[in-house]
Amino acid sequence: MPSFVKRLISKPEFGPFVLLLAMVFIFWELNPAFLSLRNISNTLAFTVELGLIALAMTLLMTSGEFDLSVGSLFGFSPVLMWTLYNTGIASIEISFAIALATALGIGLISGLFVTRLKIPSFLVTLGMLLVVRGTALYVTNGFPQRTWNAKDLPLAQLLVGDFTVAGLRLHMSLLWFIAAAVLLSILLTRTKTGNWIQASGGNANAARARGVDVNRTKIKLFMLSAAMAGFAGVISSIRTAAANPNSGTGYELEVIAMVVIGGTALTGGRGTIIGTVFGIFILRLMRNGIVLIGVPGLAYNIFIGTIILAMMALHSWLDRRHQEGG
Amino acid sequence: MGALIQMQGISKSYGPVHALEEVDLTVGEREIIGLLGDNGAGKSTLIKILSGAIPTSSGTIAIRGERVSINSTSDAISQGIETIYQDSALVPELSIARNLFLGREPLKGPAFLGWMDQGAMSEVARSLLKEVGIEKDIPPTTPIGSLSGGERQSVAIARAMYFDSELIILDEPTNNLGVAETQGVLRFVRNARDSGHSCIFIAHNIHHVFQVVDRIVVLRHGRVVADDIDPEQTSVEEVERIITGMEG
Repeated sequence: MPSFVKRLISKPEFGPFVLLLAMVFIFWELNPAFLSLRNISNTLAFTVELGLIALAMTLLMTSGEFDLSVGSLFGFSPVLMWTLYNTGIASIEISFAIALATALGIGLISGLFVTRLKIPSFLVTLGMLLVVRGTALYVTNGFPQRTWNAKDLPLAQLLVGDFTVAGLRLHMSLLWFIAAAVLLSILLTRTKTGNWIQASGGNANAARARGVDVNRTKIKLFMLSAAMAGFAGVISSIRTAAANPNSGTGYELEVIAMVVIGGTALTGGRGTIIGTVFGIFILRLMRNGIVLIGVPGLAYNIFIGTIILAMMALHSWLDRRHQEGG
Repeated sequence: MGALIQMQGISKSYGPVHALEEVDLTVGEREIIGLLGDNGAGKSTLIKILSGAIPTSSGTIAIRGERVSINSTSDAISQGIETIYQDSALVPELSIARNLFLGREPLKGPAFLGWMDQGAMSEVARSLLKEVGIEKDIPPTTPIGSLSGGERQSVAIARAMYFDSELIILDEPTNNLGVAETQGVLRFVRNARDSGHSCIFIAHNIHHVFQVVDRIVVLRHGRVVADDIDPEQTSVEEVERIITGMEG
């Protein structure tokens, strides 16, 4: 086998890429409406919202940690923003800034608990999930906050405004997603910070011995992850015209699945933003595709579970081949 | 030979347990010393203090006669003291080049962007690999995890040499290595001395120590019991007797 083919196959992004192509082809064969402009537009709108969280989670997981509170932040941040705005406490821009700053603060607290108190991120962020979700439910009495007059606001236009390209209706959130994917991919692969993120997850003691501030690196990533979840939640609340305190329930596991399917190691040290982009589309297109071809939506988890198991087996096999110099 | 490192009156206690008591250790310029002792003798504790991994309870450390305080591994590195542990303290997922420069990445463009100069990193890594005697043509982008144990140790030693560490501490560097790989590591240690570095070499295998060191220091129960053993004038058996305390 030529060496460039070997190198290509050994990349963690290769498996998810092939799977994504196969899925697109199969769903399109079974139902041509899968690639209709309307379906692409609808799928993209929601996909990039979850995708924004998955991008930040990729960096956090590469550093050896993960955050289960992202789903609750997805629900909490817009609730906070719209409560502030609807009650006349602050302008929409200030409310947006406060919501993101609060998310950053929540990320900071999670990061401090994990790094200073040495409590596993699973437990810390599970606790934070309950605190944040509970707060969102308590302050709203469980009712959604109204956002239906938001669409004309300049901020809303900037975050979710739509435009048409060659008959395809797209949202601004797609541009935010692309920008975030490019920037975070560069950050991870080209910069000193990226090197430190991978080292923190791969061998934290070795990284510390080289003068890498592992704790600070991880805290920043918890903050990024929380802020990105809040940002995605705000976008979603404007697009769907509802800030529901229950929004984002279960998203944490879906996001983690997207990241590991893409080839990022759950144990840290290895991460790929490109792989995560493939992982995001694999899960979202699977959800969309099985409905379009007539499989009951309730069967969705069977497909997702199977994909996760298959991709984990593939990544593990590729890892072993790589270690053996195959 | 002038003294590079002088540790004086170093003591370390863990509660009622005295791991080290009033230990003096001197390492000369371009000198390789072998630090020997049975399990629990205090070798690792002494080395951890010098490399900044743990604080000392009392005592002083001086470099070229100037007293220094080493409170962290970063302090030790900035003072020119590099420690190579059994597991080489490398990150398996990172490439050779990225491991070599971890914590001191060369940057290009505006510093706030933190943009790594990957071309320069690869170039230096390639020439260093040749310098430390890795004959195979291994690309600098190869992850450390796919190298053999000896190759990993070589990368760790290359890193210490490149950053001009004045003292390289090797903690059991030949553990779990094959015969050829061990000889490679021992050769690198000699190269390090020839290029002006001092070394502290710790190994359970006394025969390995005898092959490279200028002087042997023996610790027993947290105290120095011999600090001027000339490996050319002393037999392995004699040193073993000093280590175990069964001197006849």
